[in-house]
Amino acid sequence: MIETTPPPLQGPTSKEKKYDRQLRLWAASGQAALEDAHILLVNSGSGVLGVETLKNLVLPGIGNFTILDSSVVSEADLGINFFLEEDSLGGFRAEHTCKLLKELNPDVQGHFIAEPIESFITKEKPLDPYTLILVAAPIDPEILTKITLHAQATQKPVFYFHNVGFYSHFSIYLSHVFPIVDTHPDSATTSDLRLLKPWPGLLEFMTKKTTDLEQMSDHDHGHIPYVLLILYYLEKWKGDHDGKVPRNYKEKIAFRDQVRQGARTHTAEGGEENYDEAIAAVLKSLNPPSASSAVKEVFKSEECKLLAKDSPSFWVVANAISQFYEERGELPLPGSVPDMKAQSADYIQLQNVYKSKAREDFTDVVSRVRRLEDKLGRTVPVADKEIEAFCKNADHIKLICGRPFHIARAGEKVRWNERAKVAASMLENRESLIHLYIAFLAYDIFTNSHDADALGGAPLAPGEQDLQLDGEKMAGIAYKIVDDLLTEANKFLEGEEYDTVKSRTKQFVEEIVRAGGAELHNIATLSGGLIAQEVIKAVTKQYVPVDNTCMFDGVVSKMEVLRL
Amino acid sequence: MAEVLQKNGVSAPRARWKHLDKILTRPGPFTDEDWVPGEDVIEGLSRTKILVIGAGGLGCEILKSLALSGFKDIHVIDMDTIDVSNLNRQFLFRHSDVGQPKATIAAKFVERRVPGVKITPFVGKIQDKDEDYYRQFTMVVCGLDSIEARRWINSTLVDMVDEDDPDSLKPLIDGGTEGFKGQARVILPTMTSCIECQLDMHAPRAAVPLCTLATIPRQPQHCIEWAHIIKWEEERKDVTLDTDDPEHITWLYQKALSRAKEFNIEGVTYSMTQGVVKNIIPAIASTNAIVAASCCNEAFKIATNTNPPLGLPGGNNYMMYSGDDSIYTYTFEHLKKDDCPVCGNVAKKLEVNGDMTLESFLESMAEKPEAQLKKPSIRSEEKTLYYQSPPSLEEQTRPNLKKELSELLENGEEVVVTDPAFQISFKFKLLFK
Amino acid sequence: MLKIWNMKQKQQQAETAASGGKKKKVTAAQLRVQKDLSELSLGSTMKTEFPNPDDILNFTLTIEPDEGMYKGGSFHFTFAINQNFPHDPPKVKCTQKIYHPNIDLEGNVCLNILREDWKPVLNLNAVIVGLQFLFLEPNASDPLNKEAAEDLKSNREGFKRNVRQSMTGGSVKGQSYERVQK
Repeated sequence: MIETTPPPLQGPTSKEKKYDRQLRLWAASGQAALEDAHILLVNSGSGVLGVETLKNLVLPGIGNFTILDSSVVSEADLGINFFLEEDSLGGFRAEHTCKLLKELNPDVQGHFIAEPIESFITKEKPLDPYTLILVAAPIDPEILTKITLHAQATQKPVFYFHNVGFYSHFSIYLSHVFPIVDTHPDSATTSDLRLLKPWPGLLEFMTKKTTDLEQMSDHDHGHIPYVLLILYYLEKWKGDHDGKVPRNYKEKIAFRDQVRQGARTHTAEGGEENYDEAIAAVLKSLNPPSASSAVKEVFKSEECKLLAKDSPSFWVVANAISQFYEERGELPLPGSVPDMKAQSADYIQLQNVYKSKAREDFTDVVSRVRRLEDKLGRTVPVADKEIEAFCKNADHIKLICGRPFHIARAGEKVRWNERAKVAASMLENRESLIHLYIAFLAYDIFTNSHDADALGGAPLAPGEQDLQLDGEKMAGIAYKIVDDLLTEANKFLEGEEYDTVKSRTKQFVEEIVRAGGAELHNIATLSGGLIAQEVIKAVTKQYVPVDNTCMFDGVVSKMEVLRL
Repeated sequence: MAEVLQKNGVSAPRARWKHLDKILTRPGPFTDEDWVPGEDVIEGLSRTKILVIGAGGLGCEILKSLALSGFKDIHVIDMDTIDVSNLNRQFLFRHSDVGQPKATIAAKFVERRVPGVKITPFVGKIQDKDEDYYRQFTMVVCGLDSIEARRWINSTLVDMVDEDDPDSLKPLIDGGTEGFKGQARVILPTMTSCIECQLDMHAPRAAVPLCTLATIPRQPQHCIEWAHIIKWEEERKDVTLDTDDPEHITWLYQKALSRAKEFNIEGVTYSMTQGVVKNIIPAIASTNAIVAASCCNEAFKIATNTNPPLGLPGGNNYMMYSGDDSIYTYTFEHLKKDDCPVCGNVAKKLEVNGDMTLESFLESMAEKPEAQLKKPSIRSEEKTLYYQSPPSLEEQTRPNLKKELSELLENGEEVVVTDPAFQISFKFKLLFK
Repeated sequence: MLKIWNMKQKQQQAETAASGGKKKKVTAAQLRVQKDLSELSLGSTMKTEFPNPDDILNFTLTIEPDEGMYKGGSFHFTFAINQNFPHDPPKVKCTQKIYHPNIDLEGNVCLNILREDWKPVLNLNAVIVGLQFLFLEPNASDPLNKEAAEDLKSNREGFKRNVRQSMTGGSVKGQSYERVQK
């Protein structure tokens, strides 16, 4: 081997060293997005969950955070909030939690606002500086409405959460439409090899590599990449079946036997690894290259069809790819090839065959994008990199259509709208946490109508003072929500079924009232992990976020995601 | 100011624990009927002595959460020192702490932040400590990344269980994470499925055939593994590879890069080299928070009975968490294995005469109704006493047959007897008459 | 905590031993190796040697093939088993420098069940059978010693001669090998 000159050392920077363990998940692009974000926490109550959430965002290096909280640090805060200390007593909680959070990461800018939300919200565009908003319950429903209306108008994510005793809840509104390209699908399920629709270049390569297959030496025979083996036997199959590929399970099994018979068995190992791989791949690889229903959904959406000059670039690319799909009946080729038994050079050549086809498809999509841009009169072209990422992951893109979450008010019915039927049917599932969700809605209605000093001051949590009485009130509110939901869904439950729904709801209500508004640190930490993870997904636009409500039950250690 | 403090009731002795006390002093719909909330529960919690194994990503969270859950006497073991790549999640450490022992720094930080909590650090390996040490704790919480260490503490706790002594049963709560995924589980040694029963839950590390590395590399990882496994030994046999030494990683990186060039393989980077060679598992603050807090929630429930914990016989004992595609948990009961080599056969007491020869002891084993062994092999932790197979070992251990048990073993030592005729092995604690 | 103990007492349990100080106990890995050793079938062509009979996790295996191209040789392998066995496979190396397509000059052995195909249900016997097989059927595809593999592929008779040559301690293509004859 010729000794080449050693390549220049590309050691990691100090930032890459510090963030190494997370860059392996969301890469430099995700990190840059985090650093561009500015998170606003609207804190209230005992306020631990919000601060724990921020901890998990400061550590990985969010750009900016701001805590809005007018509370004064009490003795009780010190027993539950890790980001407060003796010296904080009597000071503004926003200021002290901000200071101790900032210590976690010198790269992060932290700010605080100790003004009451009631006056803050009336200022001129108070929420504009922030890219994502976290809201802790309890909060005045009018203010929560203002915040969510702002989020909907500006298409920015907003989170609303509860943390009481052993339970927590959070709901997310991401934006009207929230597309994700980089979903990080499980690599085992994602290779798209186009075996049923090979292009001429691939067939040519197959023919070249399988000429005189029967006469090949054992070594060569045992090193033909399995992709080419399948293609070779498919061509043979088509010859015997009027040019048709195996279409159903039975035919695929027959085809697999045919491949198996091609393997040589007199070898040292009694078989051939590449044939084993081919046999194992038959059932999962012989699929037509049609787009998944989720992708077709994207193509059908208004945003994709009716492009405007200022449409987000995602939709321009989606439109170009939908044209591509309509014409060709296939998505752009991703171009990646899984590892397989093969000689190095053959494998690299095979990779190149796939890569160059992917390149061709990508170039085609780029020219479609450029034509669209001309037509729409857009001045800033979509970056090639963005188009390439879309082409590579086209079949795994995900579109989440944000739904505004419930804002429950005293004296008003909770409306479930088009989710009423689904929600009502979940009521009968004894494992579901929809009953816990209803208990939290009841919590909001209760706090909306009870003040600590009966003078319109801080809201009073159920169970804070009178366990018995509050328990009855809360149960009454929760039952009414259940009844209203059943009515809205046109669903009738009676006898034992109805009693079961009520008793399960009542148990959640009682456990919530027991806590009297208290947070448990463990539950706050756990839920702070969940919410931070969802913030990271929303900010980096990587992985798949919760759509749109998540409940945690710390009594039985279970979580559930509900689409409400 | 004074007014504010007054209003918040600073004078009350437990004003600080207002939130916690709500749960400790009130029954709930899921608490046991005969559970009496109040003083005794508060007192019991503050007297609970709890051991935390690991002061890393999970450990930092565990220490913080236990301290703010009312635990007052916490011990922590960790042998590692702080590295700069820990700082993105191990929030009890600062840049200036790099190089310091994790256990000490973590303990000091939490003690300072949460007055009244005592945290005793031990910088070292769990294997440095014996049963006397582990006996002092009520329960053990593990935040480890090593399967080997988990198996060790598991078998230690299983072996400590004494039927006559309730205090000998130490619940083991174990957490683990990888990227956006993790798990929390509760083990009641000898009562419910143990770490060894659950060994199949840890996927073995994927390996590539050596011959692929040597002759037909196709992926950048193959080139790195080649440099790591083959080239290093060829060229730097006398140097012990230190995966934390940048010079060593750079050397491997350059070797891998030139091999990749030779085979036209793209994608070898320094970061990938480090990842492959050190088997780096991605780790983030949020997943650690979720898993650690789940472990502490279970520890809290066990210590206080404020709600039923995971891990009770016949109930769920394992929570699997996955957060990369929405959020998903699967909470289930992992069943105990009857043939588990660790908890499937707890050592039985056996009284023997110390002057009995090993040979007559083995003969007596053949006559015991529950054993009826035909070709028994026997060892203690330190000594291979007598093996029937392979022949060389039989020959080497044959002289022991004529020796008296008291020459070979200490009083109370554990021996394991296996026999090809039986799936399970037999453990005995030999007590000399 | 009390409640759990009540459950424990309700569970039907065999009599367990009293806690007896800090006595060391047999580790899970030792236990498994003991079981594996008792199930070993070595036949006449293999033998083991334990430098320290109390340490069953480290031993050597000698293979003396009585047929095939390597007949008459005596090949030594070290087995090093760690405490994570059987989650981790045993580490096996050839201690001699030999001419074999699947064993490199450093003693690394290419055997699937030692790496990619290792499963905790496999036992030491499976590994030993695999090693023995390597001397009966050396495998020329995907070798560790490329020269030896080339020889085997292109000229089986020549390869056989080279094996004999190397086993006597001679050189093959400028590479000297260790004498491994009985």
